Amino acid sequence: MEFPAALFPSYFGAGPPQEEGSPAPVAGWGEHGQVLEGGAGRRQVQPAFVPRRGATGDKWEAAEAAAVPMLLPSAGCWIPSPAPQDILYHSGLCRKLRPGKSGATLDFARQLGHFFVDHPEDAFGSLGRLLHKNFYLGNSKLKRPARNSTIRMTALVEDIDRLEARRGCPRQHLASRLRWFSHLCRDWLFEVPLGLLADCLHEELMQQWSNLLFDDSLTGGALAWLPSEDGGTPVGCLVHPGGQAMNHLYFQDVMLEELPRTRGSPAQFELSGRVQQVASARVDGQDFVGVRSDYHCGVWRVPAKRRAVPTPLQVIRTDVPASCLTVSPHLPGELSVCTQSGTVYLWSVETGLQQLRDDPQTMFFRDHSPWRWSDFTAHPRVLSCADRTGLQCLDARAPRRCHFDLFKVGEEAGCQQGERVVLPMYLGRAHPSQYLVTTQFSVYVLDERLPLVPVLRWAHMMKAPPLFAHLIPGKPGRSHNVLLGTSRTQELLLLQYRDSFWGVSSGGSQSACQLAGTPQKLHSIAGCLQHLPTQLPHRHHLLEQRLTAPAAGLAATLQEDGPHKSMLIFQLSEAGDVFCQRLTHKAAHPPAPASRDEATTAPGSSPLFEAPASSPQGLGTAALRYRRWLRALSRTCREPPRHTWPPSLSQRRLFTRRDLEGPAGPSSLQRQMRQRLRQTMEEGGRIQHWEPLVLQPPPLPQTLEPVGGPDPLSARLTAAWAGDWEQWWEERTRFSVAQRQRALRERRRRQKRAQGRRSLSASFTSSLTYQSELSELSDTGPPLVSPGRPPILSQESSPPAGSPPVRSPATSAPPDEALLSSQSLRCRGIPKERRKTLRDYLSVWAEGPPEPPEPPGSQASQLCIPSSQSQLSSASQPRRKRPRMGF
Amino acid sequence: SSNEHKLNFKKSKEACLSYIQDALLQKQWKRAAEFLTCYVESLEKDYSREHIGPSEMIWRLGTEILWHHSQNSMKEFNCFMEQMKTLGVKRYLKVCLEHVFHLLCNGQIDEAYQNLSLAESWRFGEQTALQDKEMKLIQAYRGLLDYYSWSKQKNILLEQGEDGFSDLAVEQEMHSYFRKAAVNLKEIIKIPGVWDIFVKCYVDLLEFYGDHNEARQVLNEYAYNSRFPANPNAHVYLYQFLKRQGESKKSLISALKILHDIVPSHELMIDFNTMLQKSKKRKKRRLGLEVIFAALDYAGWKENAKAWSCLARQVKQIVISEKHLDWIKQEWNSRKDWWPAFHFSRYLAKRNWQENKSLSYEKALVAGILLGKGCKYFKYVSHQGCKAQLKRFRMLKKFVNRHNPVHLRISG
Repeated sequence: MEFPAALFPSYFGAGPPQEEGSPAPVAGWGEHGQVLEGGAGRRQVQPAFVPRRGATGDKWEAAEAAAVPMLLPSAGCWIPSPAPQDILYHSGLCRKLRPGKSGATLDFARQLGHFFVDHPEDAFGSLGRLLHKNFYLGNSKLKRPARNSTIRMTALVEDIDRLEARRGCPRQHLASRLRWFSHLCRDWLFEVPLGLLADCLHEELMQQWSNLLFDDSLTGGALAWLPSEDGGTPVGCLVHPGGQAMNHLYFQDVMLEELPRTRGSPAQFELSGRVQQVASARVDGQDFVGVRSDYHCGVWRVPAKRRAVPTPLQVIRTDVPASCLTVSPHLPGELSVCTQSGTVYLWSVETGLQQLRDDPQTMFFRDHSPWRWSDFTAHPRVLSCADRTGLQCLDARAPRRCHFDLFKVGEEAGCQQGERVVLPMYLGRAHPSQYLVTTQFSVYVLDERLPLVPVLRWAHMMKAPPLFAHLIPGKPGRSHNVLLGTSRTQELLLLQYRDSFWGVSSGGSQSACQLAGTPQKLHSIAGCLQHLPTQLPHRHHLLEQRLTAPAAGLAATLQEDGPHKSMLIFQLSEAGDVFCQRLTHKAAHPPAPASRDEATTAPGSSPLFEAPASSPQGLGTAALRYRRWLRALSRTCREPPRHTWPPSLSQRRLFTRRDLEGPAGPSSLQRQMRQRLRQTMEEGGRIQHWEPLVLQPPPLPQTLEPVGGPDPLSARLTAAWAGDWEQWWEERTRFSVAQRQRALRERRRRQKRAQGRRSLSASFTSSLTYQSELSELSDTGPPLVSPGRPPILSQESSPPAGSPPVRSPATSAPPDEALLSSQSLRCRGIPKERRKTLRDYLSVWAEGPPEPPEPPGSQASQLCIPSSQSQLSSASQPRRKRPRMGF
Repeated sequence: SSNEHKLNFKKSKEACLSYIQDALLQKQWKRAAEFLTCYVESLEKDYSREHIGPSEMIWRLGTEILWHHSQNSMKEFNCFMEQMKTLGVKRYLKVCLEHVFHLLCNGQIDEAYQNLSLAESWRFGEQTALQDKEMKLIQAYRGLLDYYSWSKQKNILLEQGEDGFSDLAVEQEMHSYFRKAAVNLKEIIKIPGVWDIFVKCYVDLLEFYGDHNEARQVLNEYAYNSRFPANPNAHVYLYQFLKRQGESKKSLISALKILHDIVPSHELMIDFNTMLQKSKKRKKRRLGLEVIFAALDYAGWKENAKAWSCLARQVKQIVISEKHLDWIKQEWNSRKDWWPAFHFSRYLAKRNWQENKSLSYEKALVAGILLGKGCKYFKYVSHQGCKAQLKRFRMLKKFVNRHNPVHLRISG
């Protein structure tokens, strides 16, 4: 390959980067960079110029509205990796106290607690067994002889619970008993000394947290595509990890049709670690596949023949996690391996490992990251070594003497401050001496014949550092395509560059490298979520979790079918899903009308599931693929592990028992329906043909309901299942307000008449009637205010007209309320300190079941906690607003 | 409160920006343009202290949209650029430069020249280091355009000269262009950087006016100043200059020797090798062998028939003369463990035979000598060649068979 006869002008400085570093969201747009003379014809009057960026490129258009699943989800549910909320300290108060940016506080205590609970044997095994007899966990008093040698732990446990409840309270004091106990046994109770254990745990937590911020173990990606050299139908082999722990390696044959289709069952290998990277290269018509897990690296050989069986060749084990494995594109069975301790090896299947470098320090300046990378160069004996600060090339024959710097984070390449190398890649298939280097801000193309000065530089503007890259070389003179992929944000970006153009200034020979076309964003896996049919909330949540799992790999292939050219891009997620999308090549540049994608990107629309006119079945292949995938997913995740359940709601909070019981003597049809409802709810299913109008309204002599309608519960449930619960509620409030007010006025008149006959010393029966009235009201009135319903909370300040008068701050309290006022209670001889309890108790009655399921005292104490919180938080607690209580 | 207002404003600004970004990345220029008109509001309440301010963002986004928007016109683009220039004082020169680039790429050389002149006269406060660099570039590009005007005038004069008369005015104009170009070009190439195009133009000017010493000095400086990057082109330009000047073989060889040391895979290595092979000195011929072996180490040269024929010729010479077999031995020593797999595998024999018979002939010769007649590559190619009844290949077989013991001496 000839060296370009003229390069684009650029300054060259040495030293640390000068430009301030910050992720600039638009830094890559609107810039030509530099220009160089290089038009098409020599006989032009005026010189013609070409820009470094902004030349026209090929036009690729997505064939589908979203990426389509390639493989069915594997059996066994996927365990999501930890999320920030799993290891961070969560407290509203904490956030308020520390509004600064460093809000991330690791929840160390909770994790230590988890460890003690999950592994008691490891934590306290021997002493636990020894002291087993001396600890008593019962409630009853200890008998005399036992008391000398046994302590009751119940009080201690209660203290701990109380501590838990008061978490985040600024005036939290350690209970003295707890402090005393921990002081006494901190030194001897634990199997592992507490300090040591805490150190280890803290280290692990820090590790997990930094992994959450940026996980570089996936660098390179764990997906590879091996094209087949057979003529006829285009086939290939997809190499991907799978299984619950991602420790199975699959070689899956794939046929490239309209949508790629798997053929036959895959060759499968079980490995002893999670597959972090799959690298491949083709040498002499054979594919060599290198697989990296943390402590093992292996190499497979796959002959390019159709249906060839992959053969495992060799495995090596490392003491320190390996951070890189690349396969030589020059010599069969050669790979390069890096470990996190800074060692670089050339690994040959025939001759074994050759250590090229062993240096725990970074190359150009100090950086804490142990990440190392290595790749091949145009010379089969020269390898590049990279760390976060730059790249160096080493000659394997004399690694200590012969080396040169290829890339340095510094002024030489025009880097920004804080910029770090994320992924280097040898672009040998496009140009033998070119190199791609990505950082968190930019992407660089380097030519090893002109080290340190990038021949191309562009700010990629991706939200996360690109960990995956894939090259699709173009024909000579055409542009090459580079795909960049990120992990956490699943971004995919398509770039085009040309390694040379025909220049005039160079006397008709090759000229410098330029970026062609505009970068193009491709579909991410999570992007299909908006096109999928509506799911039940918990399904949706599971699906969302699954689809937004970080990406773990990227592969692509070019498919040429006569004049039609298309690009197939495969994306792997950490959940083991492989999604695929096709880009079709548009040859010319027709004047772009309002293109299809511009029209269809409105959220909510899903062209994916619309019937294309061409397909007689009514649905496109993509939609069918999705159907099948969703079905398989719901089948595999039918029994999700405990922690993936969405938080369950207690039905007691939503309906009072009376609500659920319904009116006395439900009809057989009603019972049947209710049974069906219960059953369906248990199964988590859905009732499709629900005919509530068939139900006969039960005879209700004293009901405030309009006679003839369905019973309120059924109507409500029906509305809720149908999804228009709010509308139902609106109608209901509007409808029943007038009636209920009339009924109440009627009743009050009756009561007024009756009051004359009733003495003040009337027994509790009167309050019980009041109670039943209340529950009747709650039957027809709004469901109790639960904190989970913001629309009701927002109405709190000005109660809706439909809310029952007893709950509104009306000045004229109903007469029965007088019975509960302090005065009346005193008259009944109830001591002052018990009056509040009684009031709380009765208010609980108003909401809870008629029979007291728990002692009223505990109920009252439960109510106390939110009230203390309500003083702290600005959110008002509706339950507190009880003007009828008289204070 | 105002703080909250600021926060909300910031949020909606960010959301708007992300919509624009999204539209641009999906090539929806119209949609992006609509969002950008809303985003312009962010200029009014600019609370940010970020590295790239809203004015620069609008410039970048707007430029990108106008490049691709189906209904754009150059007039509108120029108008937008003028507005952008007044918007951000700090980035004035950068915007000017980019505007000029766009004009140049669209063939509007004169407008570009005007813009460059305008930008050159711009002053605002104290110049930062970045602005200084940009100003130098602006001057350099103006020098480049002056050079093109000069070269146009020169061509006119040369054509007129052929016809036998000359125009004094044209000549005067040409000289004034020369002065303007030379001043600016001379400035930029003093600063470390990659200035291929400027150096070439400057040297061309100097050569035309016969200032060869200055030209040589400029090229030497460009090639050998350690503050400049190791640019292979600098050495190529020097070599070409020396060749034009009719310099001695010795100085040409020394120029190429340095190029060989920094880029052993440069395409000039073939010229270098032929030059060395012709030399009478043993040392130079030996260097020639080294050069061609080193070039063929690189993946880009794998199928270069010319290079293989150079190697084959030299190896054949050595084998026939039976002198200096140790040269081959020494070169082969560091390659014998990987060249067979890299160059002489059976797979490559098949492919080379199918694609390029003469390449496979040269390679088979080298393989036969280096690895003996039992080598897979040689066996396959000579067999195919004999089957196809090609005389060359029969001769090749004979030759290798005759000199088979050589490979034992080489690898021994």
